[in-house]
Amino acid sequence: MTTTTAPDAPATAPGRRRGRGLATIVVFLAPAVLAILLLRVVPFVGAIRSTLFTREGVGLLAEERFSGLANYVTLFSDELFRETLVRTLVFNLVLNPLQIALAMVVALLLTQRLPARGLWRTAVFIPCTIPLVGSSIAWGVALRPDGPANGILSALGIGPQPFFTSPSQALVSIMVVASWVGIGYWMLFLIAGLNDIGEEFYEAAALDGAGRWRTFWSITLPMMRRPLLFVLVADTVANFVLFVPVQLLTNGGPENSTTLLMFDAYRRTYTYSTPNLGATSTVVLTLIMLLIVAVQFRLLRDRD
Amino acid sequence: MSTTTSPPVPGARAVPGPGAAARRRPSFSGPRLQRVLLLVLLTTAAALVALAFMLPTVWMLLGSLRPGSQVISSVSPLGWHTLVPETWTLENYAALFGQLGFGRSMANSLWVALWSVVIGLALSIPAAYVLSVLRFRGREAVFAVLVVGFMIPFEAIAIPLAQVFTEWNLNNTYLGLILPGIGNGLAIFNMRQFFLGVPISLREAALIDGASELRIMTRLYVPLSVTTIINSALLIFLAQWSSYLWPLLVISDQAKQVAPIAIARTFTDTEFNFGQMFGGALLISVVPALLLFLLQRYFTQSVARSGEK
Repeated sequence: MTTTTAPDAPATAPGRRRGRGLATIVVFLAPAVLAILLLRVVPFVGAIRSTLFTREGVGLLAEERFSGLANYVTLFSDELFRETLVRTLVFNLVLNPLQIALAMVVALLLTQRLPARGLWRTAVFIPCTIPLVGSSIAWGVALRPDGPANGILSALGIGPQPFFTSPSQALVSIMVVASWVGIGYWMLFLIAGLNDIGEEFYEAAALDGAGRWRTFWSITLPMMRRPLLFVLVADTVANFVLFVPVQLLTNGGPENSTTLLMFDAYRRTYTYSTPNLGATSTVVLTLIMLLIVAVQFRLLRDRD
Repeated sequence: MSTTTSPPVPGARAVPGPGAAARRRPSFSGPRLQRVLLLVLLTTAAALVALAFMLPTVWMLLGSLRPGSQVISSVSPLGWHTLVPETWTLENYAALFGQLGFGRSMANSLWVALWSVVIGLALSIPAAYVLSVLRFRGREAVFAVLVVGFMIPFEAIAIPLAQVFTEWNLNNTYLGLILPGIGNGLAIFNMRQFFLGVPISLREAALIDGASELRIMTRLYVPLSVTTIINSALLIFLAQWSSYLWPLLVISDQAKQVAPIAIARTFTDTEFNFGQMFGGALLISVVPALLLFLLQRYFTQSVARSGEK
């Protein structure tokens, strides 16, 4: 009796139980529904409303006036914003597949029967427990012009690199910060997925004389499709709102080269004191997130 | 549900069935040599990957145990002492727990994360229960809204939410820190998925015995789904523990500040001490590290297979 389909409750409890059923639904659901209303819907609606107003003067206390879609026009005619949007998209298009591919390679490597496997695995696990702020501090210091990364590069005969201080290297450096903790983190899920593939598939493949490469393409990869897709989308959700290293290490610079959408919304609201434009930027970001999460939800649902 | 972490063997035909092994053994030393070479190669690769991940952590740990100024000054000339201190000291940790009040920030983080777990579970377990056990119009819609809504990281709407919280006078309060973390879409999704797998006959029997829904939920469904609930608790806890943007927006009172912000403050201070920063960064990693090591099985499992089986 392992029905995974929805049980038919009212059928078992006719008549007077109906009313009690309704009361149960309301009481049990109320806290969650209330939470989503207050913590998600209300602020989002507030943000949308605020995108339709402009302020007389600057600052949070200035007089507001209805102005239709003026903020959207302002934002999208701002070249810096358009660049930020494109930069955020490119950042994610490059970083997310890269992180997942590397996580997959490391997961595969660490699930082989190798000598001292536990040791290698633990070493990769450890950084994934470090919060992003810790990773930012570590790499922020390591990649300083006078830091150890340049020390090593100099010793290798490669000249010192500017990293966070150069418009062409800063964003890549941010990717390093995110990946050092990210790869290990997503690897955890992929290792779990790999462990879920039954031994019998590999035995069958071995009996059929399939080589290592063939086994990977015909068994491992197809069986890992769902965990891989899930991790890819979840990683995208996380990286689209990447904020900590940008705020802590580069402040969006140099020359805006590390300004991602999340930081843009923050800076417009708090640094530039233009909350309406900040809200507009937030709404754009949230709509993109909503789209990605809807995809993730579909992926999860397709399981059953 | 009982995936005892058995040694996994993907990719590698590590142990082909006994028959295959027997067939292969008498063959030449050619394939054998090849296999040994491959093993050496893969082990070297694993060791290098491990080193790449571990080295910055070791460097931070050792850096936190030396006078702060030596973290950078030891870089040139590059040598053994770039990594290993010449002078060992605990002064960075003494400063962190002393004048910097980092213990207080850690306690705040812990307090906020724990309450988020308690409230978050109290809110999502009943919701997941009703959404899996009772059938009513709009059920799927409510479910989709809850999951999708809470899956959007609250960073995305943190800025407008912070403005709402200011109006509600929740700035600089623990409640203000706790509330945004209580909803977790994945937690609700996983729990409902698990509840759907509980045989309906158990609930029917309990109903005939006159048990209330609350009783069936707490006495029947919750004990059956401990694994999924621990997983949900972990998801909520870890998200709150590493939360950065939100406390940055709503907390200005140093006494209520959480650890990630406290340590970031020392980074942007004019008189920075890298040894202290490294110590702080490692300290905030200890709690998630312990949790993940102890509860790793719970953490990844239900995401990988979404609570099935």
